[in-house]
Amino acid sequence: MIPAELRSLIRAVNGPFTSELVQQPSPFGLARLPVSAMPTATTNMVCGFCSTGCGLTVHLQNDSAIGISPTTEYPVNLGMACPKGWEALSVLNSPDRATTPLLRNNRGRLEPVDWPTALNTFAQRWRRIRDQHGPEAMAWLGTGQIAVEELAFLGALGKFGMGMLHGDGNTRQCMATAVVAYKQAFGFDAPPYTYADFEESDVLVFVGANPCIAHPILWERVMRNRHQPRIIVVDPRRTETAMAASLHLPLRPKSDLTLFYGIARILFERGWIDESFLQGHTTGAAEFQQHVASYFPEFVARETGLSTDLLEQFARLIHEGQRVSFWWTMGINQSYEGVRAAQSLINLALMTGNIGKPGTGANSITGQCNAMGSRLFSNTTGLLGGREFTNPQHRAHVADLLDIPVDRIPDRNSFSYHEILKGILDGKIKGLWVVATNPAHSWINQDQAKDILSRLEFLVVQDMYSTTETAQLADLVLPAAAWGEKEGTFINSERRIGVIRQAARAPGQALSDFRIFQLIARACGVDSLFRDWTSPAAVFQLLKKLSAGQPCDFTGIRDYQHLDQAGGIQWPYSTEFHADTADDAGHSSLTAAVQERRLFADGQFFHPDGRAKLLFESPRPMPEPPTVDYPLVLLTGRGTAVQWHTQTRTAKSAVLRKLAPLAVYVEINPADARRCGISAQQKVIVESRRAAVTATAFLTPTVAAGQVFLPMHYPEVNRLTDAVFDPYSKQPSYKSCAVRIRLPE
Amino acid sequence: MELTLLPVLPDRGSLPSLVQELLREQNSLTAVEQFANSVGDHSRPAQAKYYQALLPAQPPGPGEQYAFEVDLDRCSGCKACVTACHALNGLDEHETWRDVGLLIGGTTALPVIQHVTAACHHCLEPACMDVCPTRAYEKDAQTGIVKHLDDQCFGCQYCILACPYDVPKYHAGKGIVRKCDMCSDRLSAGEAPACVQACPHEAIRISVVSQADVAADCEATDFLPGAPDPQITLPTTTYKTSRVFPRNMLPADYHAVRVEEAHFPLILMLVLTQLSVGACFVNEWMFSGETTPVLTSIRGWQMLTAVGFGFLALGASTLHLGRPHLAYRALLGLRTSWLSREIVAFGLFAPAAAACSLGTMFQSATGFAGVAVWLFVRAAVLVTGLAGVLCSVMIYYRTRRPTWGGTRTLWRFVGTSVWLGLSATLFAAMLATSVQSRLEFGTVMRELVALLGRPLMICAAVKLAYEGADLLHLLDRHQSPLKRLALLMTRDLGGIAIARFALGTLGGIILPWSLLAADHDTPVQWMATVTVMFVMSVAGELLERTLFFMTAVSPRMPGAVRT
Repeated sequence: MIPAELRSLIRAVNGPFTSELVQQPSPFGLARLPVSAMPTATTNMVCGFCSTGCGLTVHLQNDSAIGISPTTEYPVNLGMACPKGWEALSVLNSPDRATTPLLRNNRGRLEPVDWPTALNTFAQRWRRIRDQHGPEAMAWLGTGQIAVEELAFLGALGKFGMGMLHGDGNTRQCMATAVVAYKQAFGFDAPPYTYADFEESDVLVFVGANPCIAHPILWERVMRNRHQPRIIVVDPRRTETAMAASLHLPLRPKSDLTLFYGIARILFERGWIDESFLQGHTTGAAEFQQHVASYFPEFVARETGLSTDLLEQFARLIHEGQRVSFWWTMGINQSYEGVRAAQSLINLALMTGNIGKPGTGANSITGQCNAMGSRLFSNTTGLLGGREFTNPQHRAHVADLLDIPVDRIPDRNSFSYHEILKGILDGKIKGLWVVATNPAHSWINQDQAKDILSRLEFLVVQDMYSTTETAQLADLVLPAAAWGEKEGTFINSERRIGVIRQAARAPGQALSDFRIFQLIARACGVDSLFRDWTSPAAVFQLLKKLSAGQPCDFTGIRDYQHLDQAGGIQWPYSTEFHADTADDAGHSSLTAAVQERRLFADGQFFHPDGRAKLLFESPRPMPEPPTVDYPLVLLTGRGTAVQWHTQTRTAKSAVLRKLAPLAVYVEINPADARRCGISAQQKVIVESRRAAVTATAFLTPTVAAGQVFLPMHYPEVNRLTDAVFDPYSKQPSYKSCAVRIRLPE
Repeated sequence: MELTLLPVLPDRGSLPSLVQELLREQNSLTAVEQFANSVGDHSRPAQAKYYQALLPAQPPGPGEQYAFEVDLDRCSGCKACVTACHALNGLDEHETWRDVGLLIGGTTALPVIQHVTAACHHCLEPACMDVCPTRAYEKDAQTGIVKHLDDQCFGCQYCILACPYDVPKYHAGKGIVRKCDMCSDRLSAGEAPACVQACPHEAIRISVVSQADVAADCEATDFLPGAPDPQITLPTTTYKTSRVFPRNMLPADYHAVRVEEAHFPLILMLVLTQLSVGACFVNEWMFSGETTPVLTSIRGWQMLTAVGFGFLALGASTLHLGRPHLAYRALLGLRTSWLSREIVAFGLFAPAAAACSLGTMFQSATGFAGVAVWLFVRAAVLVTGLAGVLCSVMIYYRTRRPTWGGTRTLWRFVGTSVWLGLSATLFAAMLATSVQSRLEFGTVMRELVALLGRPLMICAAVKLAYEGADLLHLLDRHQSPLKRLALLMTRDLGGIAIARFALGTLGGIILPWSLLAADHDTPVQWMATVTVMFVMSVAGELLERTLFFMTAVSPRMPGAVRT
């Protein structure tokens, strides 16, 4: 008999490498896991990437976060996550993390300094700007990526504390259009839906949206729809979502407004409308009908490049559907006439009575994890809690609730994002504080944006990474703790408030944005205004007070624990709801009906007359149409599900990096490629009136002839785009400018 | 309203202490402890309710096995499966066992795109298992799962070359290969594999398939558009779709020509073993005819040179192994693995050649030329050497990579053996002359160059022409593997290719020609010219072998967009 050790020298069926990977039963109802990944505890939080707001279970081992898995019971994602969620922890560990404040020294280099030095510099430099140029010279650019409590603190500190007039957020780049469209139409920025609607609809219309790639977990909910839904996709490109559709309308870029007016006309014409709903709950129906009367199918077909037959099929599907829902994303929002385009969809929902009922709605899918929190509480475009700066009662009420002098609340509106940049260009704004966003990459017409940022007297960047394009331009970098390293709440697309937790240690001297704001309040000597702002949990209670009586009332939510137990709670959730659902022990397990709620079931909207408005306007030509010199329309958008925005975070995960193309590529229709003598995989130059960039040619029929597509994640893409904005929402029109394409010389 | 202003800066003496306090708060995880679930033991994973329906009701019976079944209509390309596999299996930072590719086709009027998730296909005839020299692969008799025994592996990576689906992945840190085992621990406990659990669209399930059906399907149909020929290994994954794919469906990375890994220790090992064996054959050939005093005086040195390079080659080969101390396990695979056979052949060749070289050195002293044992040793050198080179040929031939197919590898390896065998002989003669004072450079070298110069030039010219002929594939209309090879040689690897042909021409043709044509006077001239000729020839062949690996266009599953 040969001893086992000797045998294993010859043939080792087991050993350290083998046992390392053995999947063993794990506690807490998780999947089997290898020993190294076995948690000793878990905690739940919502994801910090997109607005889907998935629940993630963070696996803890002796005080450190070692793994993540999607939370099985969370009502949003039902145990699933996209790759970004799975990798949410790995992007935290990166040599690019900002670990100490950095101050630009005399030789123009960023060098580490301690927090007191950084804070004193911060206070002195802002004070100098204010003394020399007045409060109008100070501005901040915030984000939809930090917690509601932090956004509120930033907004309150900036405006009430430091006396800034101008603040805006990167939500301007993704959600502003939906905000304005809803405000004007419904009287409040109120996406009416709940994700269950994806499962309840029998007809789903996706416009300028590719949830397969941009919101995989929302597509999960569509795939769970058991009603054999008809899916209509309106998108110039044949996307993954278009592939899965029953009807794809590959319209010409930016002909959407004409298309939906044309569809409205068919619906009116055929009487395929909900007359009683229009009469009882809306205003402007007659004017709208008159407006669309001239949108004859032949005209619409000519403008959109679609056949009249397709228009007919589209209208018929809307008519025949019992529960029709309209969903849009950046194809609508990032447009020079995005507000009206969004409202043209809202109009379709209103005129067919597809609102307030399961499986219906005119529904904007948001971008960032806390876009909704930013919309309600960033104190930028609107006063805290969805109020108006220009309204004296609103100001008085907020001053009273926060126990601050009312004269600290500006009575004027902020500049929007592009007005702030213009203010810098004009020399009016001298100092800018950028928090958790990367305008030097993401802003439209990037070369100009970089030039503008370089003109500032003082640029502060507060970010988790010190290597972003914007941080590289900064005078002062403040190291921020990231998602997973701090607590607070996010509000997702369907108005669901979810909790984030401090489960991982922040690197070095990095502090949560909340704590940085606490320090700045102290450094600027305004901490007496923020006596009650002691922790995110305390601020959450303040936010509840601010929400009271507003459409977004969530006074019925007790605290973070309540949110955790309930699987997130959608606003509105007033104290009435709370009374209904909490048991004696204070535990609440929400019934499905309370867990997934939609707005407007009673047909009451937030305008004073209780009615929704049908708003419309004649379409305008594309600002930069293709010409002989620049014959192609450039579309931009998300490339893969593993990339997030400017890749500041996702590029820090080795796995996510592996799953996306390393460098920029341009999707070209094979016919266009042939015409330009371009073959697959060649390096080509894509050139607009603003810049020329090199990209690898990817030939695909999914992009129509006359169009090219560039994924927005690569830094060079926004050098090409044209700084044109929607007049109402001030959102940049990223998705259409004229380019040409050629081989390098 | 009058604008609010920053108040006068207060005494900020308390700032540093607040900084300290907040940093302390930031570093404590008390908040999380408050909310953490540290109790609660569920007997069953919570996710089971979602994946239960994605697992087979019964384990496989006789003639059946588990297989992945992918519903392409439900695969949207989100790649959650890849990250879940990575996370739930505790893989290293860069390690992934699953991948998602993309197929594109159709017309502008009706374009078709299809994402494709793929991991190990748990083949009926796994190439990885067949070629493994250490028997580190097992195909489970009950489940059909192809398991890799991580502790048995010595990291030769032959399985990586052999798998048509690019499945086994080398882990450099551990020096071993690892791969998907269909989460067999989970599966045996009634739990779904990580990818199955994590697919938001329920696109991946585990099914039980009949092995006979799999074989029949592989005979009749394409496995998946753009995927390698299923006949090579009989993959068991089923790709289901309700779509009719257009004929022009191609992988998104179809036109991306990628450089393959070079494997430097293997390059050294192959070129030098072939040099060594070639030199042994030249040695026999030179003495098969009329022996001259010159030849006799260099014979031992020539063998010594051959043996020296042979041992150098074997040393290099161990550098290739992730865990060289386990090299002895190569004996286990003799029955199926050409790598095992190669190792054994060269393992016998080296001592035989060493013995032979010693014998030759002291032949005149001992006078045993003609003794049967001596003949046997000489025969053994030739037989084992030839067998070793042929095993090397078979290793690459067996991978079924088109660039290594047919007789392509054979002619290259034989060509290298002859070329470098001749070149090394001239080099050895030079060495022998320089250490034996009684020999005169002019006499020795002139005789040898007259004997070997022409064969060397012919061999080099033929080999270079044979390799250069690959460039004709640039004219191919079809983006065939050989066209990709030609594209690589002219684009990404253009520099290496130019250097290869330049060195080869100089070392194999021009310098030998100069030796034949021009008479050298001084020993230094001889030494310099012969050394340069030899070094250039060897360097040229090393570059040729580098190209051999780097242009070895490997079949793989459809890939995603590549830049």
